[in-house]
Amino acid sequence: MSRPLLKDLPLHDRIAFVREYEGYLLTNNERDVSQSDFKGRIMPWTTLRVASLRDEVGYFAFEISGGASVHVDLMRKQINPFEKLRLVREAMPKTLIQAVCRGHSLFGYRPYPEKVIRFAVKLFAQYIDVWRCYDFLNHIDNLAVVGEEVIKAGKIFIPSLCFGIGPEHTNEFYLSKVQEIVNRFGKEDIILGIKNHSALGTPERIADLVRAIRSDFPELVIAYHGHNTDGNDLARMMSAVRAGAKIVEVSDHGFGAWYSQAPALSFVQTMEDYGYEPKGLNLDAMIQTSDILRQERRYYERFESPFKGVDPLVRRHKLTGGAVSMAYEQAEQIGLLPRIHEVFQELAQVIRELGNIWPVTPGSQILWSTALSNVLYGRYEQPSDDLKRLLLGHYGPFPFYDPPEWIYEKVLEKGRTDGKKWHKILAEEGSGALKTRRPPEEDFEARKQELEKELGRTVTDEELCLYLMFPRDAVNYLRFERQFGKTWLLPPNVWYHRGRFQDGTRITFVDDKGKSHYIDIVSTQEAAGICKTSCIVDYHFKTFSVPLPVKAS
Amino acid sequence: MFKKLLVANRGEIAIRIIRAAEELGIKTVAIYEETDRFAMHIMRADEAICIGPGPRKDYLNIDKIIQAAKKTGAEAIHPGYGFLSENPEFPKKCREAGLIFVGPPSDVIWNMSSKVIARNIAESVGIPLIPGSGVLPDGEEGDERALDFARQHGFPIMVKAVSGGGGRGIRAVYSENELLKSLKVARSEAKLAFGNPEIYLEKGLLKPRHVEVQILADAYGSIIHLGTRNCSIQRRHQKLIEIAPAMLPPLIEERVCEAAVRAARAAKYVNAGTVEFLVDAENQYYFLEVNTRIQVEHTVTEMVTGFDIVREQIRIAAGERLSIKQEDVVIRGCAIELRINAEDPQAGFIPQPGVIEVYQSPGGHGIRLDGAAYQGYEIPRFYDSLIVKLTVYGFTWEEAVDRLKRALDGFNIVGVKTTIPFYRAIVDEPDFRSRNFDTSYIDSHPELLNYRVEENPIDKLARLIAEINAHGYNPYADIP
Repeated sequence: MSRPLLKDLPLHDRIAFVREYEGYLLTNNERDVSQSDFKGRIMPWTTLRVASLRDEVGYFAFEISGGASVHVDLMRKQINPFEKLRLVREAMPKTLIQAVCRGHSLFGYRPYPEKVIRFAVKLFAQYIDVWRCYDFLNHIDNLAVVGEEVIKAGKIFIPSLCFGIGPEHTNEFYLSKVQEIVNRFGKEDIILGIKNHSALGTPERIADLVRAIRSDFPELVIAYHGHNTDGNDLARMMSAVRAGAKIVEVSDHGFGAWYSQAPALSFVQTMEDYGYEPKGLNLDAMIQTSDILRQERRYYERFESPFKGVDPLVRRHKLTGGAVSMAYEQAEQIGLLPRIHEVFQELAQVIRELGNIWPVTPGSQILWSTALSNVLYGRYEQPSDDLKRLLLGHYGPFPFYDPPEWIYEKVLEKGRTDGKKWHKILAEEGSGALKTRRPPEEDFEARKQELEKELGRTVTDEELCLYLMFPRDAVNYLRFERQFGKTWLLPPNVWYHRGRFQDGTRITFVDDKGKSHYIDIVSTQEAAGICKTSCIVDYHFKTFSVPLPVKAS
Repeated sequence: MFKKLLVANRGEIAIRIIRAAEELGIKTVAIYEETDRFAMHIMRADEAICIGPGPRKDYLNIDKIIQAAKKTGAEAIHPGYGFLSENPEFPKKCREAGLIFVGPPSDVIWNMSSKVIARNIAESVGIPLIPGSGVLPDGEEGDERALDFARQHGFPIMVKAVSGGGGRGIRAVYSENELLKSLKVARSEAKLAFGNPEIYLEKGLLKPRHVEVQILADAYGSIIHLGTRNCSIQRRHQKLIEIAPAMLPPLIEERVCEAAVRAARAAKYVNAGTVEFLVDAENQYYFLEVNTRIQVEHTVTEMVTGFDIVREQIRIAAGERLSIKQEDVVIRGCAIELRINAEDPQAGFIPQPGVIEVYQSPGGHGIRLDGAAYQGYEIPRFYDSLIVKLTVYGFTWEEAVDRLKRALDGFNIVGVKTTIPFYRAIVDEPDFRSRNFDTSYIDSHPELLNYRVEENPIDKLARLIAEINAHGYNPYADIP
């Protein structure tokens, strides 16, 4: 019997379907594979190439948006994140589309004003059916506004517990958080997420947590999201499902990912031994997807981690899978790659000192950059503004314990000329109800006029939304789009090409109307600071002149 | 029939004439100025001869052109339009040199170039004239007569140069003060532009349409008309879009055409010419002037009649009789012609000299292109900025407009700004679509200039590839 088309069911029925499902459901998380293993650079070209196959697999959902992807879409892929969703939606009509959201920090790095959150969620919810949502301090209040809007839009909300290890990370603590979630959102119409972003805990630890939740909250549907950084997430997923989780998140084996999710096919094959048939899954489509992805993977080789292979030491440094490739990139840029173990040691120390919080965005950026800075310039000698905000409580309260006084003193008092001591700073700049520390509301009309003036045209709500979230990068993107159009049509080996194209290179692609095009590079000439590229575009000859940047002497 | 024809012109009209000559088995000679040495008409002719360094002065030098004809053994000269085409000295000197001039005799051109004589001829055969003042004397007497005229006919009034034409030397005035001020200015401008300071006044008409009749006359007294054209869509008195037929009520259409033939006969006209009228909101028509040359817009008449006007011009000049009788002329369907210029309409139609990097043109049923540009051609800054003349045919007005839109969309011209997006805005404009336009159309639709130019999306991608190629990496995705 074929599965009902979940996106056509009312919210309550969708959740009920998952609750009553015998067996497990899989969510394919390309967004996380791209972010964790390829610096977020997987292009829509690749996504769309395998979209129809993935749509045949029978995945519960396909995660393609949220996290860092919205920002990377604008900055490095030059695609409108809304357009990407529209394309994926059209190409995968049977599968639910999923995104991950950083609570009140949405898809960014700092808390947004409430009106902006509501505006953004409403717009994105046109395309996103499933919202995984977490807060890096597990401060459930920070999920409230997103959750309200997602539920209002009739979409599936997955408030997620950030999972960690350490003396404070007990079942008792997590169950108290589940209770907070249930108190706020109920039990019937949500799915509870366990977010094991750093690939921590043994399979048994995960099973124990799932069992504990199932015991206290038997009606709750549980989804497990893990990373395979230590190479052991297959076992954790298996334990989670056997303990009662209904959804687990996987990758395609064609990507052979390291720090993101474990491969779907491996999981399916393993589960068969335990009596779980691959119900409703088209394994041929799963295999064919990876056959294509294996070919595509070479385009992204340059963005893979400099260190290949799994990293069981993640249990010590706890760096979230989603931050690994970018953390390495950052370390490489500042010449710290050879000293990466030193940085990892420092990271573990910083996490302990800063309340044993969860190193996941935006916390992972704060903790990682603090560790880097500590190694480079001395411990807490050059604190970032975000670290100050964390200590001031702008992200929410520390869940287990506050950092020691000397860190407050060093971070908050350094360089101050007003003579204020940290407890006074905290009282004046960080105290009061959490609401008073929220960012001031935006004047939408004024910001819209500002953007329209910047672009010299009227703007859509979606464009305004991108501008409110990422002002500078949205303007740059919108200007780029006007100038160059739908560049996501280009193959990744062109988009990420290094060096000059050889004469005679033929670039072929199909446009968004299904028409084939070719661009033949005829010649490249350089003279007087101008590079002239002559090419045949479809059937006509053209020469494009590009001024070359002046080289520093 | 003569064997060799010198074409005393450049650009699209020179090529148009060369094509007709080729079909008649006549060899052609192109002339050119040094500044125009890469022009396409040179490549299309059988021979070419440089007549001087230019720019613009040698194409106007009758002696040099006659010398060139003599040197190359050409027996006839076709003047095209513009340049020397309406200079009565040119046919005169051709005749003196023993050369055939493809156009009317010198005295006809002379008479028709004088607004006053032309009006007298028209009046003599009963064609209504727009009330006019006659040539105004200088000084106070002229001012007095002008004021009297204004009081008798009311405003607006058109102040016109006796030797003006082609939309030049005309200004509209709306008050007595403005009238008095403009008389002096108009005289000095007329002297400067045409070498003749004489001016006269005409009553201004409400919602006037510019209608003209194509005539053909041989040296044996046969004169026919090829129907009407509507040239109302003008910018500063320069025609932008021409349509055939003018689609007047049938009776008016017939009367206007008959009047044109009468005027031509009274003027002893020979060869191709155009009699122009203004038709007001009540379909009352008035004689305007006679153009003694082939018109830019002759192509629309050719499309709706099927006749080759330039071929007839050459045959008439060679002493042959008209090959067409009036009863052979049947107007079928509708044709629209417009000039695709290298100009920036949003910057006051300023010419855009430069290299045409890409030139792709539309094709298919009902589309005619009379072009002079090619991919890689550098549009010189010294001459007009015409890239190509587009003429479309449709069985109905609606079909012709749809085809015009399709044809405009079929152009891909890169390197210079063109008038294409402006025309695109016009073909989508409701008044144009419903044929509701007069000579004020462009001024009364300023929104037509608010278009946005969108580059071909694949060209945009190619430009990005050029950026990646130039930098050696994608500056919008990567770091060096």
